[in-house]
Amino acid sequence: MRYGTYLVPAAIVITLGSLACKPPKTAEQIKQETQAAFNEGAQAFKDGKARTTNPYLADKDNPHKMQGWNDGWDAAKAEKEAADKAATDKAAADRAAAEARAAADRAAAEEAARKAAEAEKAAAFKKAADAALLTIHFDFDKSEIKEKDRAILQGIADFMKAFPVAKVEVEGHCDERGTNEYNLALGNKRAAAALAYLKTLGVDEARFTTISYGKEKPICAEAKEGCWSQNRRGEFKLK
Amino acid sequence: MPRFLTRIFLCALLAPGLRAQQTEVVLSATSSAKLVLAMTTPKATGLDDATVAAQFTAVLKKDLDETGVIAMLQERLPADGAPAKAWKEAGAQWLLNTKLTKAANGDLQMEASALDTAAEKGVFSRTYNANRIVPLRYLAHYLADDLVGRLTGEKGVASSRIVFVRQTSPGVKEIFQVDRDGAGLVQLTRHGSLTLSPTLATDGRLAYVTYKGGAPEIWGQRKKDGPHEKLYPVSGAGGMLTSPVWSPDGKRLAFVQGDRRGNSDIMVLDLSSLRARRLTDSNGINTEPCWNPNGNQLAFTSDREGGPQVFLMQDDGSNLRRLTGEGLYNASPAWSPNGAMLAYVSRFEGKFDLFVYKLGEGKAYQITTGVSTSESPAWSPDERRLVFTSNRFGSSQLFTTDLSGRQILRLMELAGCQSPRWIRGR
Repeated sequence: MRYGTYLVPAAIVITLGSLACKPPKTAEQIKQETQAAFNEGAQAFKDGKARTTNPYLADKDNPHKMQGWNDGWDAAKAEKEAADKAATDKAAADRAAAEARAAADRAAAEEAARKAAEAEKAAAFKKAADAALLTIHFDFDKSEIKEKDRAILQGIADFMKAFPVAKVEVEGHCDERGTNEYNLALGNKRAAAALAYLKTLGVDEARFTTISYGKEKPICAEAKEGCWSQNRRGEFKLK
Repeated sequence: MPRFLTRIFLCALLAPGLRAQQTEVVLSATSSAKLVLAMTTPKATGLDDATVAAQFTAVLKKDLDETGVIAMLQERLPADGAPAKAWKEAGAQWLLNTKLTKAANGDLQMEASALDTAAEKGVFSRTYNANRIVPLRYLAHYLADDLVGRLTGEKGVASSRIVFVRQTSPGVKEIFQVDRDGAGLVQLTRHGSLTLSPTLATDGRLAYVTYKGGAPEIWGQRKKDGPHEKLYPVSGAGGMLTSPVWSPDGKRLAFVQGDRRGNSDIMVLDLSSLRARRLTDSNGINTEPCWNPNGNQLAFTSDREGGPQVFLMQDDGSNLRRLTGEGLYNASPAWSPNGAMLAYVSRFEGKFDLFVYKLGEGKAYQITTGVSTSESPAWSPDERRLVFTSNRFGSSQLFTTDLSGRQILRLMELAGCQSPRWIRGR
């Protein structure tokens, strides 16, 4: 009976004591609780709650929970902000790319239009050149411009005036009769005669070069007048 | 004055010595008599009979036949070992014996001797050595040239060459060279464009006009066997350029430059100073310059009085006078190597023919006669023949003629040839 007198209060004291001073938590428990609080904090941010709603603010015994909750909230906020920024950036990049594409398309269209215009202009130039730059002819051992070739030279002068960029080489040619060297000099005389006539029609002679091929480049090879008359010629070539 | 006298004195001393070394000339150059020569079969070692017959005997016979001073005895020939008297009776004045040896390394040796069948004494004896790159036919040419030299006092032209222009494709002409007998065709330029008007200095330097850069330029060799380089214009564009012709001393180049008014002028370029001087006065066409052998006069073609005519002037442009009188179209003058004659072409009844103007007589002689067009005469170095172009067998080919116009020979069957020039090969 005597033992009971001590044992019972001791048991009560121990029980109460054990209830009053809980044993210290292990590191593993703290880590788990911190993680749980972190998750709660993150969820709280996602739920739109303010950082001041941290339920562990007053829990002086568990500062790690308060810290964990705050960290979770902060991490979620940072994550959301990063995601928002990425989205913003992407949108900006997409916009810029779209604008660049549009600009390139515009430029291509303009280039195509310009090229088309140029081609059209070149075609018009070439057509006008082909129409105007006709061959004139000369009599044997002569370099005088024939009456019937004056219209051709007028056409060449008109073409040169219509296209101020045009530059033309005047070629003098001869038939096969006579010496090679004399015919080279005669070809030069024929080219010069054409040039002099064009000058009287008001075209700047600096836009012409002259060259003589003598009888070295015939267009017809037979030894008869029908052929020779074709070879005694002045040709006009774009330079 | 003292130096002048010394020179005369030296000449007087040397001249008999030189003459003594030379043997007596048998025929005068103007003689129309031909020496009748017979030839025994060459004795050959290291060469088969067929090669000797084709590349030596036939070549030599053709060379000698074309000299104009030797006639080959072809018929009723005595046997090779027959005595001189037998050859004399057969009609031969000279009897030629040759011995050919081809060494193991390919080198050739030829011993040649000629016997006067009447006097029964040697008139010619010479040994020739040639290394293996020399074709056998060249030995025949050398022998023919020396026999002519022995006979006339001036070496023959069997080993000479002809340089000319030939069309290789439409619009492309290049310069070629061929041996006088039509063998050994060689292309000298590869510009791939119009290349015209070749001229050869006596040392073999070539000059010509090429359109390779578009506008014509004068190209040529500054040094013997040197590279082809641009000679004129020195810089910039030169306008129309044609007809370069080396002066006889090879130091100057006459040529023709055209302006944009249609005139063309005779110019002379000094190769050492690169200075060009205009000799004619821009009054129409002046072209086709050619030098006299002294290099102090030029003949050229001008249309200053209407149609083309041949004129002469000093090499400074002074003392201008018209040479050709008859005809409305006279052009392409070529001064003979000894200076006494000018060949040219004249148009008559629509055809062009070769004429030779003899300065001493002041008269022109017609060489070819109106079968077809004959153009671009150039003298053989021995003045016995002219090379020219003709379309008598179709498209412009090269021919040679003697001065009588009776012996016209086709150089080769090659179409599209123009502007031949004739030069000694050695």
